[in-house]
Amino acid sequence: MNVEISDVTRRFGRTQAVAGVSLETGPGVFGLLGPNGAGKTTLLRMMATVIPPSSGRVRLLGRDPGEYGPRREIRRRLGYLPQSLGYYPGFTVAEFVEYFALLKEMPPAQVPQAVAAAIERVDLGGRARAKLRTLSGGMLRRVGIAQAIVNEPDLLLLDEPTSGLDPEQRVAFRALLRDLGERATVIVSTHLVEDVGAACSDVALMEAGKIVFHGTPDELIAHGEGTGAAGDAPLERGYSAVLAAARSARAAA
Amino acid sequence: MTFSHEMAGHRDDVPGPGQDRCPGDVDLQRVWLGVAAEVWRRRPGPAERLAGRALHSQGLARALVTTPSLLLGWVIASAVVLAAGMFATLGTGMPFVALLTPAVAAAGIAYAYGPGIDPAWELSQSMAVSYRMVLLVRALAVFALDAAMGLAASAGSETAAAVTFGWLIPMTAVSALALATATVTRSANIGVAAGLAGWAITVLSAQSASGQVTTAVASSGLVLPYLAVAVACGAIAWFATRIPKGTS
Amino acid sequence: MNDDELIAAMAGGDDTALRELFARHAPWLAARLRAILPAAEVEDVLQESFLAVWRGARGYRPQGSPGGWLWGITRRQAALWLRRRGPDGLPLAALPGHRGEHAVDPAEASVFRAELAEAVRALGPEGSTTQEVWRLMYVEDRPVAEVAGLMGVPEGTVKSRAHRVRQLMRAALRQPARDGG
Repeated sequence: MNVEISDVTRRFGRTQAVAGVSLETGPGVFGLLGPNGAGKTTLLRMMATVIPPSSGRVRLLGRDPGEYGPRREIRRRLGYLPQSLGYYPGFTVAEFVEYFALLKEMPPAQVPQAVAAAIERVDLGGRARAKLRTLSGGMLRRVGIAQAIVNEPDLLLLDEPTSGLDPEQRVAFRALLRDLGERATVIVSTHLVEDVGAACSDVALMEAGKIVFHGTPDELIAHGEGTGAAGDAPLERGYSAVLAAARSARAAA
Repeated sequence: MTFSHEMAGHRDDVPGPGQDRCPGDVDLQRVWLGVAAEVWRRRPGPAERLAGRALHSQGLARALVTTPSLLLGWVIASAVVLAAGMFATLGTGMPFVALLTPAVAAAGIAYAYGPGIDPAWELSQSMAVSYRMVLLVRALAVFALDAAMGLAASAGSETAAAVTFGWLIPMTAVSALALATATVTRSANIGVAAGLAGWAITVLSAQSASGQVTTAVASSGLVLPYLAVAVACGAIAWFATRIPKGTS
Repeated sequence: MNDDELIAAMAGGDDTALRELFARHAPWLAARLRAILPAAEVEDVLQESFLAVWRGARGYRPQGSPGGWLWGITRRQAALWLRRRGPDGLPLAALPGHRGEHAVDPAEASVFRAELAEAVRALGPEGSTTQEVWRLMYVEDRPVAEVAGLMGVPEGTVKSRAHRVRQLMRAALRQPARDGG
């Protein structure tokens, strides 16, 4: 099990962004769906060891991120792509990926090869020495993915990774996800339902800080059948159905 | 997203000297990655390599040489300010260098801090090389550089010895104040403002109390208060950069 | 961009030109190397060769064939590699026509054998008339009259076929440009 989260909450002032989430997952691609403000990003940030939980237990890669030594070990084996990643405009693609490879404490001798592999894997081989300020939004997103995978992480956390990517790139990206998911735990947080259906073996749906569904994409589809829920595709209908049920349950409570 | 279809196969549109296909047991992808690794690699300069050995961390060294306030433009600007102060002191007798150096250092150190300055701040928080270490190393480097430049400018402006060195301690206090404010407010800009404002207030109130503008840097009675401020602000900065617990 | 333009771009520091050059030429260079080296060593030699191509782009003069220049660099790397490996690992056999007066560098010899084998293949399929002429006249060193008798054709025909063989071999061996190679 690479991720073991039990009963985790996170408050910011008076708002509860995450209101009691339990999750366990091993290798594979795991989708985290939900509307904006559902708590997906906060949950991901906790898994990225950027913020600790207000309560509850988190174990990542078999270690406790609350302590300095284990946290550092986790971070060496971690890949994280935040929702909005800024760039150093004067850096080239290779310099940017290399910078974070070094900050992840990769052995310096392995860094050039790993950087080259990551850049080619996201199909930016023709732009390795281009300055970041010359790249489009979609390319910058791919640079972000490259830095996340450069250290071949055991736990890869991607927050809205496909924003800015065109459909062809999204297809290629899903193939990359399936490839990575064979060895590592990949958690993809997105509000795009179709990204999840194609690549994920396991899906959780979050609403108002809680997980309201956890199962396979097929099971999510099943939830939407015959309910007349909104959506152009089966997965979308399942998504809407579960969300509607969760909201009315909350309203009734 | 791999481009193996390009590399491993034969390119039909280009008539190669031999029409031979790549042998099935040769991995051209691996070969290209080996070539690319060499061609794309960055070779660190001597300063960075030295820093890497001294700090036992290539990542920390790289973070150090990319400090915004250690970049050439910033260093030159600081040098210009101090040189101007030096000439002003030579011309008017007013100890501009002593008054300017703490301000320059405060600004430089605040700008070593992330939010507002570092676009990849969130990502940096998830790195094995902790941001607190990066901040510490950067702040010390900026301080050392500004102190060295300040000493050079002071020596060149022929002021009294007490004033020449007297600004080092206030500089420590003001820098610590700037850093503490930056880390607590999560904003480098606010840190700069606090540092500069704090220093200006100190100089002016010392002047109005004693009638002399150099009091802030020359009075020995202020040494202990300055040190107390420096230590307290240092502790605040250290505390503010821990992984936040609970509700902040 | 044609190969000459790519090499010129490379000389100016354009790594995307190197990438394109690799995509075009690595397959056939790998095939040639595979004739004399095992797969893993082909990969290593090819890697060293393209790094040498990258570093040596400035010295290229566009007057020969870019392919020949690339092969020239690659064969040198191959020879270097074989030399480093020492005499035990070399797939040696006597060169056709070698009289033994000068000591031939075994590594160079190995590389040349591969080039020769490939050139002979370019003459035509096994058993074709050009292959026959090559074998009889140049490998077995028979006089024209004897070859004519064995093949059942007039001497003039043998001579023109031999001329054809020499043309094909010259083209296939494609001597690299002296300055760039």
